This record gives sequence, structure tokens and C-alpha cells, in this order.
Amino acid sequence: MEDFETRGTQPSPLVRRAPTAPNAHPPKAKPDARPMRAALGAGGLAAFSAVLAAIILPATPPVIVPAVDPQLQAAPDTSGTPISLQRPIQYVQLLPGQTAPPGAVVVDPSGPRPTSVVVTVPAPAAKAQKPIIIKTTQSGKRVP
Amino acid sequence: MIAARDLRSPRARLLGGAQASVERPVGSTDPIVPFSHAAASMGGRLVIHVEAEDGRRAEAGRSTAALVERVERWAARLTRYSETSDLSVLNADPRLEIPVRPTLAALLRAGRMVTESTEGLADITLLDARLAAEGLAGEDVELTSRAYDWSIAPGRRGSAIVRRSPGLRFDLDGVGKGWIADRALRFLADWPSAVVDADGDLAIRCAPGKTWEVAVDDPRTPETSIAVLRLTAPDGFPGRWGVATSGISIHRWNVDGRVRHHLIDPRTGRPAVTDVVQATVIAGSALRAEALAKAAVIAGSFEGFALLDRARVQGAVILTDRGETLALPQTLALLGN
Repeated sequence: MEDFETRGTQPSPLVRRAPTAPNAHPPKAKPDARPMRAALGAGGLAAFSAVLAAIILPATPPVIVPAVDPQLQAAPDTSGTPISLQRPIQYVQLLPGQTAPPGAVVVDPSGPRPTSVVVTVPAPAAKAQKPIIIKTTQSGKRVP
Repeated sequence: MIAARDLRSPRARLLGGAQASVERPVGSTDPIVPFSHAAASMGGRLVIHVEAEDGRRAEAGRSTAALVERVERWAARLTRYSETSDLSVLNADPRLEIPVRPTLAALLRAGRMVTESTEGLADITLLDARLAAEGLAGEDVELTSRAYDWSIAPGRRGSAIVRRSPGLRFDLDGVGKGWIADRALRFLADWPSAVVDADGDLAIRCAPGKTWEVAVDDPRTPETSIAVLRLTAPDGFPGRWGVATSGISIHRWNVDGRVRHHLIDPRTGRPAVTDVVQATVIAGSALRAEALAKAAVIAGSFEGFALLDRARVQGAVILTDRGETLALPQTLALLGN
């Protein structure tokens, strides 16, 4: 007890402030630790919350949106060869036990990504002879 | 991502495992030179072609003229541009259960069927969205699809009872011409080779071994085509096709300085934003071809080709806004030189 009282009333030589010289720098002010503590606390809470959610909450079906390959917008092959268009599709992954709604297209996740094979159509040869009588067209009047 | 395929393979693997031959049909012949009867109809042009020998031309003239009159009567019941049509009466009726006559009932059933076959993209419940796109109605009503807010139950002698939710109105523009073309073709049973051209949507029948030649219009340049189809019936069997074209480059207009077109995306209730300028589909009927062509335009080229693949069409030619003319591989078997 005496020791404590002694420490409380008489400054220890270790912490006693040295006499300052007239030209010495003023002591550095300590930064306030409270904002950093608050930030660390909030970060910890967020991390804890995320871990808790991953452990406790059921996994939600992820919506997977494959990126659109800008190459797909490139100029087409004009040689008339078949080309394969890999489509950017959006789909919902079913969880075990879930069933797709009636009529939905179900894609096997282990299979290759769906593609459509198309061909470029060569321009029809200009015919000097009789014109073709039957023609399929868009409906409506042509707007200049 | 764009990979060249082996041209030597006679078959190309398609989405869903469908197989398509790219070999030309055996027995292609010179195309039929038909007797043709044209008339203004359905806000456009109705043309009926039949293969008629010289001795039957007068008979062909009578048959086709009678059919034009019949088509006019159907169209008068089904148009939304007349207040007295069966369709306009149905749309104006405030009741939730309305009896309809056989012709309209049959077309409404066809409309329900194509909604299913196009995975919802060809939708006959978008009248308000269409009017809003034309600047003729406000956008304060439900514009997106109401395809499943109505039903149709059979009545007496082909008539039916339509049950619908309040405010639902029908627009049959997207299916009417194809349906009429198919129906009209059935009235030409005396002509083994015949075509009904309902403003560009074609119902085609071909006698065994005969060939119809059909040009696919190029919307960029008048009087030119982007492809020529040769539809040949095999020996021993008649051929039956529907060929229809839909697009956004002809039927369009300006509203408040913005260009709009008539193909409404049921998911947004607004004119479709798409890279497809025009789609032509060859299928088993004009109704199906018309609906699938419209759906391909609305869906865009990637999803559109996949949809057409799933629908197992006989061919499809798509013109994109990048200037590409693309087709499903099986279309090669139908292309003329």
C-alpha cells in the first residue's frame, strides 16, 4: 500500500520530466487512438458478421453471369464457313433438391457452355434472267 | 470464341444435340412459274400463287379471287383498326368473361400456342405497350407481358369464352397474317402447288418433286435479296413450309424525335433493343415461322439463334446491324445459287 501511495503522490524518476532547455523542441503530442480503435472494431464486427452468415445462413443460388467476350462482336468470317457463337447467358444454379420450373431449359454445369453454330450466307448471284416472283419481306411500308 | 468448324463434315453439331444435314436435296428442279393473283389486304398485300397448266388458268383465277374475298372477311373480324371487328369488340368489352366467335377464338388459341413455342417472346397481350410505343397511349398502364392473365374455354360450335384479368387487351398483329396464310392455303386443296403470301409471310405447299423459289428481301436496298431459298418437295411426298420475315427496319416511326419500331419486348414493354435487323425463318407453318422470326429479332442474334435451334426450325437467315448475314447450318440445304 505504501508503495502505491508513494507512486501516486511522488513522481517516479523514470517519468519525471527533464528540465527543458530554452531552445528544445516541444514534446510530441500523442495521436488520439480512439478513431483507430473504432475503425478496427467496426472492421472486426463486419468480418465476424460475414463469417457468421457463411456458417449459419443457407447458401443462396448464385446468379452467374458469364462475361461477354468482345471478340464476339468482331467482324464475322466472310468465307462462308460455319462459325460457333458462344452465347452470354444468365442462369440460376439449382441447389440439391430444387427442381426447375416447367419448361425451363436445364443446362448441365459439367457440360460445355452452350453454343450456337451458324454459317455465313454467301450473297446470291445476280441473275440476269427472270426475277424471282415470290419474296418474303418485313411487313409495313418502307421508310426512306 | 468464334471457331471455324470442319466444312467437310456433312453434319454440324448444334445446341441440344440436334443434327442438321447440309447436303442439298436430291431432285431439285426448275422453280415453278405460277399463276398469281394480287390484292390489297390487311394493310398490305395479299398474293396467291398456284401452279396451273394453261388449261386451268381461268379456274385458277376464280379460285384465287374467291379466296381473296374470304381472307378479307377473316381480316375484317380480326383487325384492331376497325371498331366493329370482333377483336375491337372484345378489347372494348369491360366484362372479364366474354364470348367470342370461332374465327377469333381459333386465332387466340393460336396466339397462346406461339407464346409457348417462342418461350414467351411472341406475345399477343401487348396492345397497350404497342400503342405507347406509337405515342398513341400513355405509359401509365401495365406494359409488360400479361400472357398468362387470360384463358380460353371452348364454347358451342367453335366459339369460345375468353376469361381475362381487368384491362387486358389483345393485339394480333404478330400472329394474324401467318395464321391467315396457313388457313387460306387449306382452301387451295385443288392446287397441289400453291403459295399464300400474306404481306411477306408465306404458307407454301409443293407437289412431289417440284420446287418453289423464294427470295429473302434485303431491307437495305429495294429489289434485292440477301438469300434465295429453293424449297423442293421430295419425290413421292408433298412439301409444306411456312416462311416468314420480321424486322425493325421497315415498320418504324418517330415519336418525340426518337425512332421506334413495332416489335415489343414483353420483358420490358418497349420496342426491343436488338442487334437483329431482320430475321427470316423457315418452319412447318407460316404461323410458327412468323412468331419465331419475331422472337429471334426481339431476343437478339445470340439468344435468337439458340431459340430457333431449340424450336428445331428448318432454316433461318438473320441480318444483323453489323451487316452480317448469318444462318443456321441446315439452311444451307435450302439455299439456291
